[in-house]
Amino acid sequence: MTNFKSYLAPATLDEAVDQLNQGNVTVLAGGSDLMLRVGAGNYDPSHTLMNILKINELRNISFEDNEVQIGTLTTITEIREDPELSIKMPLLGQAADQFASMQIRNVGTIGGNICNASPAGDMLVPLLLLDAAVELARQSDGGVASRRVALKDFFVGPGKTQCQSNELLTRVSIPFSKQGFRARFYKFGTRPALDISTVSIGIGGIFNNGYLQAPRVAFGAVAPVPFMALKTMKAIEQSPLDSERIKEIAEIARDEIKPIDDVRATAWYRKQLVHNLTIKVLSDVTDA
Amino acid sequence: MAAIIEKESLIGKAIPKMDAPGKVSGHTRYIHDLNLPGQLIGRILRTDRVHARIISIDTKEAEALPGVHAVITAKDVPNKPLGVTKDNPPLKGDKVRCERDEIAAVAAETEALAEQALSLIKVEYEELPALFDPRQALLENAPVIQESKPDNISMEFDYSHGDVEQGEAESDVVIEDLFKLHYVTHCCMGASGVIADFDSTSGNLTLYSNTQVPFLHKREFASVLNMDPNRIRIIQPPIGGGFGSKLDIYPFEPIAVFLAQKARRPVKLTFSREEEFLASPTRQPAYLRLRSGVTKEGVLTFRTLDSLLDNGAYTSWGATIPFVMMQTFSSLYRVPHCLYHTTTVYTNNPYAGSFRGYGNLQATFCVEAHMDKLAEAVGIDPLRFRLKNAQQAGETSGQGMHFKSCGFKECLTTAAARSDYAIKREQNLKAQGDDNAVKKGIGMASMLHVGGGAKIYPSDGCGTILKMDDFGHVTLMTGASEIGQGSETVLSQLVCEELGLPLSAVTVVNNDTDITPWDVGVHASRTTFIAGNSAIGAARLAREKILNAAAGTTAMPADQLSLRGGCIVIDESGEAVITLDKLLRSLHFQERAELVTTSFYYEPPSVHQDKAFKGDVSASYAWATQVVEIEVDTLTGVVTLNRCTAAHDVGRVLNKLGIEGQVEGGIVMGQGYALTEDLLIDEGHCQNPNFRDYKLITAPEIPEIDLSFIETMDGEGPQGAKGIGEAPAICMAAAIANALYNATGVRIYEAPFSPEKVYRALKGCSQPLEW
Ligand SMILES: Cc1cc2nc3c(=O)[nH]c(=O)nc-3n(C[C@H](O)[C@H](O)[C@H](O)COP(=O)(O)OP(=O)(O)OC[C@H]3O[C@@H](n4cnc5c(N)ncnc54)[C@H](O)[C@@H]3O)c2cc1C
Repeated sequence: MTNFKSYLAPATLDEAVDQLNQGNVTVLAGGSDLMLRVGAGNYDPSHTLMNILKINELRNISFEDNEVQIGTLTTITEIREDPELSIKMPLLGQAADQFASMQIRNVGTIGGNICNASPAGDMLVPLLLLDAAVELARQSDGGVASRRVALKDFFVGPGKTQCQSNELLTRVSIPFSKQGFRARFYKFGTRPALDISTVSIGIGGIFNNGYLQAPRVAFGAVAPVPFMALKTMKAIEQSPLDSERIKEIAEIARDEIKPIDDVRATAWYRKQLVHNLTIKVLSDVTDA
Repeated sequence: MAAIIEKESLIGKAIPKMDAPGKVSGHTRYIHDLNLPGQLIGRILRTDRVHARIISIDTKEAEALPGVHAVITAKDVPNKPLGVTKDNPPLKGDKVRCERDEIAAVAAETEALAEQALSLIKVEYEELPALFDPRQALLENAPVIQESKPDNISMEFDYSHGDVEQGEAESDVVIEDLFKLHYVTHCCMGASGVIADFDSTSGNLTLYSNTQVPFLHKREFASVLNMDPNRIRIIQPPIGGGFGSKLDIYPFEPIAVFLAQKARRPVKLTFSREEEFLASPTRQPAYLRLRSGVTKEGVLTFRTLDSLLDNGAYTSWGATIPFVMMQTFSSLYRVPHCLYHTTTVYTNNPYAGSFRGYGNLQATFCVEAHMDKLAEAVGIDPLRFRLKNAQQAGETSGQGMHFKSCGFKECLTTAAARSDYAIKREQNLKAQGDDNAVKKGIGMASMLHVGGGAKIYPSDGCGTILKMDDFGHVTLMTGASEIGQGSETVLSQLVCEELGLPLSAVTVVNNDTDITPWDVGVHASRTTFIAGNSAIGAARLAREKILNAAAGTTAMPADQLSLRGGCIVIDESGEAVITLDKLLRSLHFQERAELVTTSFYYEPPSVHQDKAFKGDVSASYAWATQVVEIEVDTLTGVVTLNRCTAAHDVGRVLNKLGIEGQVEGGIVMGQGYALTEDLLIDEGHCQNPNFRDYKLITAPEIPEIDLSFIETMDGEGPQGAKGIGEAPAICMAAAIANALYNATGVRIYEAPFSPEKVYRALKGCSQPLEW
């Protein structure tokens, strides 16, 4: 039973940022995170609930010269099924494929997944890996002003981001990867569908002459926010990768994460998983 | 002119369940879909403490809220305690003892108002020291949970036959292990609910209830409510799952009645899913220490079992699972010497109810682990070892169970052969040492369960009324409740078999205590057996009357006539003589044939257990062997169940589709118990009251299932059938544990085999079990 002060559904970005500017607004996209919180009584009834699903300009996937821009309202299903995206950024489709169930994928949006800022959000690890940035729009002089924040700087803590209360996330921009870049995403849950990640791992780079160049490593569900594993990346870069070296890197990865105990797993088990799965994913990426 | 009608039988055919179309198309009206004119919504305020004295409850603000029609606390109601030992008052006035405790309840015009009213109730507590670990319940200084039981013991059970000391002396190998079983809950898709409605003129109470035992409830409600049972009518709307969870009266039911009484309006009280997790019964958790012996020839010598059950704060059926557990210990195999003990202790944890299998999952888990271990210790393969010790037809077990029909050995050999058990087991053993991260395992387990009713209550009967109308339509009024298990369809089949009618000619009425004859309830896998025999009885009476009447009109002797295809036919030739509806119309209101027959199946040939728990409690017993094949990912501990080969002694298959569904469903339920389901209770609080973190098996996890039905044609069963409702869930945890051992050489004594637990065991980092 929801008890928001009021509800509205603007049709344009202008109206939406105008409303945000007035304060006390809760943004509703697909609702697959938000409505669960509302159902549990975990919301501010003095707020206006603003449904942004009618703002069509927030929907498109567009391919620009150097990057792809994904509108915040793009659903996980749309990402999973977009033919061009699946060629240019197969990692996103891989992650979307392991996301929730069809019903949730059909309503859940990429922007909602990002703004919800769960350490276990499944699109976040691949987006970090691909060096994505988000656009945040706000009202300025009666118009719309926008700023761009790199995703690696966007997450502040569980459920907390750089997005201010007067800002709306409008799209995600992802630079095209260099020739030869390959990456893998692995989500570990205890069952094959409808599971929240216990840990998730993304590893990518350009494999050349035994080296994984410009390596990218991101982990989810093993720290307060999904993050780029800089130490692990550095270790990968340093020397050619054989199976012995991969094992050493897995140990570095295990020591770099800061997991907690929760109902899904203990910190100890998460560390073991990251160790074992880093070997698996890294071997996979380097096994041309 | 006369058509020839061939003899046709519905028995063993694959017949879709009669309730299936409504359920799959979303048309079935469950209790949640029912609304009575003037109805209010009831809600319960539960405690947020697990052990505390209630200092005060202030309901003034809630009462003052417009739209709230009743607010009740313990002091407003005759608060007679419920449950197996009557220790659970519907509303708690002095103390709360567990997370689900009910302190107050409201009835309001809307759900939102009711919720708001609850938030306005203020409760003051004084915290009491709490007791969470059953192993500490018997310590000198343990907090006392129930004042009337200062030793914290709610129940104790002792059983023995033979002389275990002698058995131990005769043993070449003796092993002892400690096992631990966890909390799981039923997860009925239809959450609990009740509507209480008093007739404003007569004062009679109608309860719309999901109970599995309407007649016993009627009686118990009368006592709880201080009412004449004659004034209580229970109507069961289609029930969205039972599995044993609705075998006891729980506080929400009298609370709804008290609210209706006070508000003078109908009150509907249904659980949210979270409440269903927090406040409905669980399966009984247990510590079990099993000691077993064997001779080097592979003959079982003795068994002792000591077990500790966490009763939780109040006593429901969970505490009584020793009734069933001891049967598995004493009688699944031939064990000459047995000694059994259970102590059930109070704690501030949730309490367990009855749950499909009733202790047998827990018992089988231990016994079948020991069967594999003993076989290994004496160097006999597990299948041969089981065959050597298996019960067989004609035997009476040490506990007095008499196995008139018994397909146990056939179950064992069939499941083993169809799964290639022996070969795969050897292959997996050899592959244990290779460097493949994914290990394959195969494991077997068997079970024994009542299959012909169970003499638990003073009687184990069921009545039937059968009415035939002028159009050849049959109304079957049976005491047996339908909770999704398919009883309507099977009972109709059995009736049609006698009367030569198509299934479409039968309507089943089975949900109204004012109409249907008495029945003891849906439990103990008894409905097909007991209600089936009862329905056959009524149908045979009707058949006799019809054929006698037909003899009168056709000048043929009744014993040369038969009923087929909706006609009276000459038995030998199949030649139709007269259609049934025409005959029935001619009998309309005539004395020579009342078209209503009644019958019952009252006391099956079984006996109550004596004080020492000995007796032949069921008219027949069901047997099964299940073999599972798994893969264990040693990098993550994930266990994948690929295949289950099940062989069940079912007496006879009545409805092929029905029995397949029942066995498949049971296998999946057992799979969840073994692998994924785990109601996490931390300091008395449930940590995962939702389907996100309480993991039921999902579709992609369901294994390939191979079913064999061993038809032993039970002499007492309806058309030879036995009850099988609980049987299929019982073996899975035991079989999967054995498969894990086959795959990895590591044995796990504690369910469920979650990835983390398995991984820890593989790394040798398990927490040791202690008791
Ligand atoms: C059954 C189930 C299974 C799930 N499984 C998964 C899973 O496997 N993996 C996974 O990652 N997640 C999972 N989720 C979580 C959820 O579906 C995803 O996070 C989804 O992407 C959220 O998108 P949404 O559009 O529904 O967000 P909403 O619920 O509408 O919003 C989420 C949050 O973001 C804010 N928000 C949304 N859009 C904007 C915007 N443009 N600007 C500013 N703030 C905004 C909202 O105010 C809210 O706080 C699951 C959820 C459910 C119910």
